[in-house]
Amino acid sequence: MLEKIKSKSLIKWYFILPTIIFFLIMVIFPMIWALRLSFFNWHAIIGPRMDFIGLGNFYNILKDERFWGDLQFTLFYVGMVVIIELSLGLGLASLLNRKFRFRNFFRIIYLLPMTAPPIAVAALWRMLLQPDEGVINKLLVAVGLPLVKWTTDPSIAPISLVIVDVWQWTPFMLLALLAALQSMPQDIYDAAAVDGASRGQTFLHITIPLLSPIITTLVLLRAIDAFKLFEYTYGITGGGPAGKTESLSYYIYSQGLSYFNMGYASALSWVFLLIVLGISLFVLKSMRKEMR
Amino acid sequence: MNLKKTIETVLLWVVLIIFSVWTLFPFFMALVTSFKKLAQSYTLTFIPYLQFKPSFGAWTLIWGEESQMLRKALINSVVVGSISSLIVLILGCLAGYALSRFVFEKWKNKDIATWILSLRMMPPVVVLIPIFIMMRTLTILDTWRSIILAHILFNLPLAVWLAMDFFNELPKEMEESALIDGCSKWGAFLKIALPLSSSGLVAIYILSFIFSWGEFLFAVALTYNKAVTFPVQITSLFLSTEGLNFPRVSALILVAIVPPMILAIPLSKYLIRGLTFGAIKG
Repeated sequence: MLEKIKSKSLIKWYFILPTIIFFLIMVIFPMIWALRLSFFNWHAIIGPRMDFIGLGNFYNILKDERFWGDLQFTLFYVGMVVIIELSLGLGLASLLNRKFRFRNFFRIIYLLPMTAPPIAVAALWRMLLQPDEGVINKLLVAVGLPLVKWTTDPSIAPISLVIVDVWQWTPFMLLALLAALQSMPQDIYDAAAVDGASRGQTFLHITIPLLSPIITTLVLLRAIDAFKLFEYTYGITGGGPAGKTESLSYYIYSQGLSYFNMGYASALSWVFLLIVLGISLFVLKSMRKEMR
Repeated sequence: MNLKKTIETVLLWVVLIIFSVWTLFPFFMALVTSFKKLAQSYTLTFIPYLQFKPSFGAWTLIWGEESQMLRKALINSVVVGSISSLIVLILGCLAGYALSRFVFEKWKNKDIATWILSLRMMPPVVVLIPIFIMMRTLTILDTWRSIILAHILFNLPLAVWLAMDFFNELPKEMEESALIDGCSKWGAFLKIALPLSSSGLVAIYILSFIFSWGEFLFAVALTYNKAVTFPVQITSLFLSTEGLNFPRVSALILVAIVPPMILAIPLSKYLIRGLTFGAIKG
């Protein structure tokens, strides 16, 4: 009997240890290494010499205008895409939450954007948004509207990237919310109908509260994913015009792998990680409070 | 009452069609443009034969002159995707099964699962620099090995969560009675749990392949010549002056987009489930 328990308690580790060890090597070790690097000045392109500069890199980040601009853009981007995608998705999902012909057909259509690799989506929209030859501007001119400098006007380019994200990920919100709506208990709705509640009342007082845990999850997932913005910046604008569409991921990538400024890039990585962590905790907390 | 219902139906179809047009328009443009000649691609025409004479120039160019470069990138993408997904599937099943069936006293099952989930939430760029240096130190930059390792890292958290979710849905009783009949834990896992969740396992493999196929950040950082994946290859093309060659860019985009699309359509339920870590069953 004793032997059985012993073997039982050992075998579970064979199942889980490979995964844990993999993550220790590929995530935890690199993160600690990055933390160490962040205290050094190391221009890898010049040579292997590393100078210890203490908190110098972090001090430089505080003064780095490019970092603050990128942070501002990234926050703007995340906020915009989450708000737009959630409200569009919620509206569409509640409209489509009924039986109609070809429903599965439309579901598959709406699924298509999120199956595409983000960098291919970037290529696609780069082509469509091309200021002179792009089809969107051609269409605008054809109906008598002025040209829009989608990717070259500093005040419009950030919005262009938001549009691309909305195109690719609104369907995700829609389909996820639709699935959630369809798994809701029908009897509550029947009871509300018996009590004479209107459509709007039912939506506000029953659907939304019942959905709110799912909405929290979806908002958090979308926000965290949007924070990783890299491909659209890389493929559509290259960070420009005037750095207005440079995301934090893109900045870290270029500090590290274009300028080979390894110490500074590592410090930026840690700052970025802490920002994402802080914001997700904040979102989680404030949405929990609202739910009560 | 009847009028209200009619209005609602009309509204529903108007919205359905507008949203479908908005969703399909970019794909449609890529498809149409890939059959145009360069000069035609700058005109506002949409219907082949009627508005312009279709040309297969862009497609023959892809399969002709530059096929060698593209074929190499395609092979890299397929090899990296299939091998990394296989490893992800094996590790993910083992870990998911452990979290679903065994009890970890010291570190609670829930804590381990949350930790693994948080690794997926973390922006990958955070570990990019040290992983790059690591791969350089091991001198495996620009090889399949480096990019396979990175893609396992990218996909494993999701696989663990989905596998855990699938095993949680299986009733425990079958495995328990097998154990009583003298079957080992391994036997119960291999002979009962795995076969019963085979459709879920296929979903994990294919989802992981789709994400590996489209992954760009690690691919562009860790490869530059021999091991470039297809997304990296086309990016260097469309960011060059060739970017204005719309027919060619369109054809390349379609080659990047269509395989994951075809793989994902039969998996539509699992895709939502995967992207929400099982929070929504789809």
